[in-house]
Amino acid sequence: MATSFDPGLSPGMVITGKWKQGSYRIDRLLGEGANGKVYLVEHHRGQYALKVGSDAVDLQSEVNVLQSLALQTKGSAESFLVEVDDFQHPDGRTYPFYVMRYVRGMLLADYLEREGSDWFPLVGFHLLGKLANLHEAGWVFGDLKMENVLVADYGRSQLVDYGGVTAVGKSVRQFTEIYDRGYWSAGSRKADAGYDLFSFAVLFIQLFERRRFSQLVHTLLPQNRVPEELLKLVRTNTTLSPLEEWFSRAFAGEFASTREAAAAWQLQLHQSGIKRRSAPAPRWMKRLFIASALLLTITIILMIRVGM
Amino acid sequence: MKQIILITDGCSNVGVSPVVAAAHAQAEGITVNVVGVLDDGDIGEFGAAEINEIAAAGGGLSRLVHMRELARTVQMMTRKTVMHTIQNAVHKELQQVLGTSSIESLPPGKRGDVVRMMDELGETAPLRVALLIDASASMKPKLQAVEEAIRDLMISLQARQGKSEISVFHFPGPRYGDDCCMDLGWTSTLSGIPALFAKLQMQGTTPTGPALLEVIDFYRKDDYGRKNRDGTDGMKSGYVV
Repeated sequence: MATSFDPGLSPGMVITGKWKQGSYRIDRLLGEGANGKVYLVEHHRGQYALKVGSDAVDLQSEVNVLQSLALQTKGSAESFLVEVDDFQHPDGRTYPFYVMRYVRGMLLADYLEREGSDWFPLVGFHLLGKLANLHEAGWVFGDLKMENVLVADYGRSQLVDYGGVTAVGKSVRQFTEIYDRGYWSAGSRKADAGYDLFSFAVLFIQLFERRRFSQLVHTLLPQNRVPEELLKLVRTNTTLSPLEEWFSRAFAGEFASTREAAAAWQLQLHQSGIKRRSAPAPRWMKRLFIASALLLTITIILMIRVGM
Repeated sequence: MKQIILITDGCSNVGVSPVVAAAHAQAEGITVNVVGVLDDGDIGEFGAAEINEIAAAGGGLSRLVHMRELARTVQMMTRKTVMHTIQNAVHKELQQVLGTSSIESLPPGKRGDVVRMMDELGETAPLRVALLIDASASMKPKLQAVEEAIRDLMISLQARQGKSEISVFHFPGPRYGDDCCMDLGWTSTLSGIPALFAKLQMQGTTPTGPALLEVIDFYRKDDYGRKNRDGTDGMKSGYVV
């Protein structure tokens, strides 16, 4: 159920915490998660992301997960929860919010389009590393999807929106159908590392076979929604086909751990030689080369004429 | 925790008002959620109003959705209702223990402990969901989506740590004058779900209220299904109150 929730915050507005009196100036809306809206805010001359919740219980539940994670990964860059508070809106209502580190980055699809698909093995490896950290701490991300992955410089990927994060062994709190293992009749909705790896695999198919993937989702009858259909897309895609075995193991839940899945990802890409293959030189580079060669020839001719 | 999810596409036209029936359910601790399913047409102002009123009387949620969104809606509704039921119980406790009636009035630190307990209960408390399906003629093209939504709900419930069961009813029943018919008694497996409505005869009337009352009665007499099972094709004979 898409709950259209609007706390009515506009750029320039300053909100003040009810319990801890911190003040935050709204810069702009960054995005919308399942439990609320995320804004870019200024606080003590720094930039932060502030999430306003539509429901105090749902938001607190998310905060609990972030706090447990912060305790487990103390001191590392992963702990990014800054503050938890409520604010009173001019309309009289009280909204819960929390403040976190601002993660800069762009969506996976946009990043690969801009930087080239040569980056995809590395981006995938970084993402598997992030998931492995989470899994080793006893959590599953749950709602892994295009919108919840941001990529920063040099392919460093980050997970955003922790609304779906679930303790291993419990039922996944939030998921998006097309990335869901249950939806593809490939297993349960109980949180385990394999659940995230399944979504990861779907995500990368969607990335390289966007049109055929969406066609598949819209035309398959529920009883025919099986991972084999996804594997067909992998086999016929030149970028993904070297990883066919990896995808098939991810869909079957055959990786013992996410570290193992990450290692297999690297190994299979390496064996297939995809790392040595590079994209053809861009047209502007070829043109530049021709132009400079031409310039050199002209210079040489001129030099000869001048008689040097 | 006890829930009824009513899936319909129009107005009731026979018997007791479904709003009265839903209020009865609420009085017995059963939450009634209502989903109005649309195809390309419209459910009509009157139908939409009735759907909202049934849910309000039953203490539950109401949504108007397209067939495509049915599975997701049913799953989310069940989950939200579980949390809501627990929240209500916790609010009462808070009132008694701390003299405050809402989670919001607790400082964020204390709130964390209360919500952690609520999440735990939401995952582990036993849950029963009775699905009541409108099988009047106009619903026929939507029944496949309904079946898919039931299957999907079962997958979600199976992932819970607590005992979770569903039962399925449709209305009106196969014989003239039957208000309601049970298709599937309390179960926690997917086995009875495929072809749930394969042999369904679509009828003209929509006795939503009487059907709701029968499901409430089913909750009362827990063992009802066991007595009526014919065990041959998974379809239960229509039963008379």
